Amino acid sequence: MSEYSPVIPREAVDRSFAKQGPKQYTLWVDIEHCIGCNACTMACKAENNTPIGVDYNRVIEIEEGDFRDPRKAPNVGVTFVPMPCMHCGRPACQAACPVGAITKRKQDGIVLINKDKCIGCRYCAWACPYGAPQFNAEAKIMEKCTLCVHRVEKGQLPACVNTCPAKVRFFGELNEITVLMREKRARSFSISVAGADTKPSVQYTIPR
Amino acid sequence: MDNIVEIQCEPPVRVENELCSRFRCTKSQCAACAAVCPVPRAVRFVEQGVEITGACIACDACASACPNGAIQPAESDRRLAERMRERVRPPAGFRIGCERAEGPADFVVPCLSRLTEAVLLEPIRCGAERVELLAPDCSGCQLERAAPQWGMVLNLARALCESAGFDADRIVRTDAPRRKREMTRIPLSAPGSRRAMFRAFAKWTAKTAAAAMPDAAPEQTAAEAFRAIVQRHPENPKRSHLLEVLQSLPGAEAQPTVVPAAGKPFAHLEVTPGCAGCNVCETLCPVGALRRRGENGTFALDFDPALCTGCRVCEVACFHKAVRVRETVDLSVLFERQSATLISATRRTCRACHETFLGDASEFCPSCLVSGDRRDAIARRFFLGGNRGDWS
Repeated sequence: MSEYSPVIPREAVDRSFAKQGPKQYTLWVDIEHCIGCNACTMACKAENNTPIGVDYNRVIEIEEGDFRDPRKAPNVGVTFVPMPCMHCGRPACQAACPVGAITKRKQDGIVLINKDKCIGCRYCAWACPYGAPQFNAEAKIMEKCTLCVHRVEKGQLPACVNTCPAKVRFFGELNEITVLMREKRARSFSISVAGADTKPSVQYTIPR
Repeated sequence: MDNIVEIQCEPPVRVENELCSRFRCTKSQCAACAAVCPVPRAVRFVEQGVEITGACIACDACASACPNGAIQPAESDRRLAERMRERVRPPAGFRIGCERAEGPADFVVPCLSRLTEAVLLEPIRCGAERVELLAPDCSGCQLERAAPQWGMVLNLARALCESAGFDADRIVRTDAPRRKREMTRIPLSAPGSRRAMFRAFAKWTAKTAAAAMPDAAPEQTAAEAFRAIVQRHPENPKRSHLLEVLQSLPGAEAQPTVVPAAGKPFAHLEVTPGCAGCNVCETLCPVGALRRRGENGTFALDFDPALCTGCRVCEVACFHKAVRVRETVDLSVLFERQSATLISATRRTCRACHETFLGDASEFCPSCLVSGDRRDAIARRFFLGGNRGDWS
């Protein structure tokens, strides 16, 4: 395991905020060092005040290896993959929405659901390969991760990034992040899905 | 200058957003109004459906072309028909003329594209033997782009005549010579100066702007959520007028008349078993041709073919591609008013989201199942080495 150092310094985030013109804000998650504490999920719930059953960010637990063979030493591991909205470059949810309630903002690349327009048909949930849109059964509308747009517009970090105790979630502009990665010689991946060319923007660094 | 003109000139037609299929469903590709509008840039597609700008010349071709009756001209179709009724002398034939046509017309409209099927059938309803359209050659006319519209309305009215059991030739087109154009030139010794004209214009601008101000303010505060607007299904004034005329046609006997549905404001729908009971087609239908019925744990979708305008909103909106528009349509449904049940299935309630769904495979609705399962599967496959999109 490589020695760990937080990759994105505050200056890079400031550069991201200051950047003019069309850009794509995104998250970078280092799942090699994620401890699966679910603090991001809870911070998101508190920040966005979501009801029970609606989680903008969920952490998927993956167990691998086995120790069923008594002759071998047990070789098991648990990895956690936080799954927020990917804020895709070509959102499948936007294409599926029959009333045009989902928009991708040019100025920051955030995909947002207009709560006044949404008719709660859940077509976005059908279309999204990542299961990001969540149905709010009380209000009968769809909701999803907004990348804490209300905080980002004020120049603050999203709640999940701010709260992450292991410091594995970072926020920034996609190109800035990519440049930093290249400098650090780290490899990042986005979760692409065969058959759905949505150009997801959220980046993951995985254990080698 | 463009802005001043657009602010001051109230367009002579009104767009009823609730009926516009473009407003209701952004996937709708309906461009019936723009296709016939003879004036460039008079019809604009905006986020809120369709906007008619001040460039409009009030030919009302768009009102005739809009299948949903969303565009309402200053003089409604009913009032136009009333004016026409006063001139009908049964059983003599009735001639409707274009303003440019030379000939003895009983009724003159600025452009024949103003006419709708209901207006064309009005003289027959009043007892006239024939309806003749006096039409000059439309090529070269300034309203040339609107010309196909009245041809279509004529064909439709003839088809409706046939389905009513009449001879289609009771509505015909007659060629007429074109009237010589009268040159309108401003007389050289016009009274008043240019300065006086501008002064009058300035005074008028100030007056209308002051009058328009208080109206604009409450309109903004009364903005209603889109979600609430689409729950309403207003009456389509055009279709109700047509049905009224067809009901009272003297001596009409409905005959099955099957015509291709493409390009016609009528349609018949089909629902395939892929229907998930999401109810989007019923919500988004601008004219309320679809109605949901749900009693005793069933979900049923009723369809009134007489109200359907073939705008295809349901077809393009359905995510599951379960709604299909038939390729042919029987016009006699307009006389009989029978509603059909498109689908009837058992309805169940999801344990997770308490929404209703169709089918009995599980206790949870397909969309709850799909999004949770998908998220897990994708994350797992990503971690194990698949699905990696490389950015760096």
